Amino acid sequence: MMPATQSGTGNREPGTGNALVHADGVSKWYGQVSGLNNVTVSIPPGVTGLLGPNGAGKSTFMKLMTGQLKPSQGTIRVLGEPIWGNPEVFARIGFCPEQDAFYDRMTGLEWVTALVRLNGLNDAEADAAAKRAIDRVDLMEAANKKIGAYSKGMRQRIKLAQALVHDPELLILDEPLTGMDPIMRRKTIRLIKDWARAGKHIIVSSHILHEIESMTSNILLINNGRIVAEGNVHQIRDLIDTHPHTVYVRGANPRALARQFLTEDDVLSMKFEDDAVVVETARPDSFYARLTELAASGEAGQIDEVQSPDDNLQAVFKYLVKQ
Amino acid sequence: MTGDATPLPAFRRMSFFNASRRVFDLSLGEMLWSRRTIFMALIVGGPVLLALIVKVIESFGMAALRVNNQRMAGFSIFGVIIWALFLRFIVPVLGVFYGTALMADEVEDKTITYLFTRPVPRGAVLVGKFLAYLACTFLVVLPSVMVVYFLLVPLSQVPATFGKLLIDLGLLALGLAAYGGVFSLVGSFFKRPLVIGLIFAFGWEQVVMLIPGSLKQFTIAYYLQGLVPHAMPSEGVTSILQGLFQQNPPAWVCLAWLFAFLGGFLYLATRVVERKEYILEQ
Repeated sequence: MMPATQSGTGNREPGTGNALVHADGVSKWYGQVSGLNNVTVSIPPGVTGLLGPNGAGKSTFMKLMTGQLKPSQGTIRVLGEPIWGNPEVFARIGFCPEQDAFYDRMTGLEWVTALVRLNGLNDAEADAAAKRAIDRVDLMEAANKKIGAYSKGMRQRIKLAQALVHDPELLILDEPLTGMDPIMRRKTIRLIKDWARAGKHIIVSSHILHEIESMTSNILLINNGRIVAEGNVHQIRDLIDTHPHTVYVRGANPRALARQFLTEDDVLSMKFEDDAVVVETARPDSFYARLTELAASGEAGQIDEVQSPDDNLQAVFKYLVKQ
Repeated sequence: MTGDATPLPAFRRMSFFNASRRVFDLSLGEMLWSRRTIFMALIVGGPVLLALIVKVIESFGMAALRVNNQRMAGFSIFGVIIWALFLRFIVPVLGVFYGTALMADEVEDKTITYLFTRPVPRGAVLVGKFLAYLACTFLVVLPSVMVVYFLLVPLSQVPATFGKLLIDLGLLALGLAAYGGVFSLVGSFFKRPLVIGLIFAFGWEQVVMLIPGSLKQFTIAYYLQGLVPHAMPSEGVTSILQGLFQQNPPAWVCLAWLFAFLGGFLYLATRVVERKEYILEQ
């Protein structure tokens, strides 16, 4: 793990020819508020995780690299081309945004088909591509239901389907696992890894190290609008393991879940919140693995949602900023 | 969940029109079944209700409307409804509420991201949504005009007046398009487009039309008004109404200006959308 320099270039040369995304002195201000601050970075091919707490600048960076925002200062190129005002590059990019926003009256299939038609596919091709993408995210049984009736996890998956429906070279995923149950998280992570193995490139953001780590070892740490560090995940992993990790688990039977967690020696504390149990664990890895097993076995009832608040990372960021 | 990647056809660049048509396909259903359309149906239901009341009054042998002590016939009342209700009120209202919302709704709902991260020009997104607005308003407004017509005009007068009805329908369609063009620019440019749109339609346009001089040439209502006498019947009573519009320019000038408003403002709106950053609230 390389603590980033002021410019954030780390050990890569700016303007690297094969970089997926190359940002050169990029800043973004919203009026007086700074969203991103003089970032220079090259994101290499493969899978890269963008890790940082909420408000760190992840979404701003993703909006800049998807041409939704124009840099206030500096330049940004994606797949070797400028992205702002250059819509044709989107034929090679798939983007899964963070926001939970849809055309709720459309069915999942109608929505994905309509969006991929914007990539120039004719009706038959669009229909086939949409069905294939929806199948990839395991949502075929709900393809003809209105999106308004989808659960949070299903909405995340249909969003993922619209991002990969046109078979893009580069997938940009903003917090793609938010709201998914453990089994679907595992499947989605597998899908992302399969995508990478097929030679595609992925940039994925999260505020949960465990999520990023399960997809890639190459991460960019972002905080207060700056790239704080970049490189291999394992060193930051050691840092984060010294801090307790909080996990929010919502399910049909929180008390049964709590009984199961009590048998784990890494669980430091627990508390109930409505239909959820909030657990503090010393070993997030083994906790998440056990949680997935629990969801699969159904021993403690259905698990609907798993979330991890972003304050898990704060101590690590403080440490890195001091370096 | 599978990870297979069956190759898709290579990317085919679309023409601006083709891209707009595909955005239109995506937007029409959403627009047609939105709450705004229920509002529109209520608005256009007003003249239908009024025509029904007139029909009931006339069925008792009474005069529903008199001008200078002369009883107005069915088609004359229809002409007044077209001018006073549809052209001066309903068309601007729909133009404001739909035109300003073309981009604003997508931004507010945060669905704009899906359209702006596809390989289509942003301008085509606006034009596609504008076409959806036209289809949506035509589908609701024009049938209601037909209903009003058939409620007010006796069947015996239909052969003589049907051509005029078609002109009225064309006039309304042109009004919806021209106001839609202007308000699509307002909606693309301003943060509070609805307020500005309402000020334009019911402040500027109404006030300026009452002021002598050439300022009224900067309104859409002036050119729509200029076409009204050509669409109205020329019988005795309505000639009084026509007197109000005597100083209007010829029809071709009005048509040319209305198309210029439509084309010019829509073009400017596409330029704004191409250049503007839409920052979604977190």
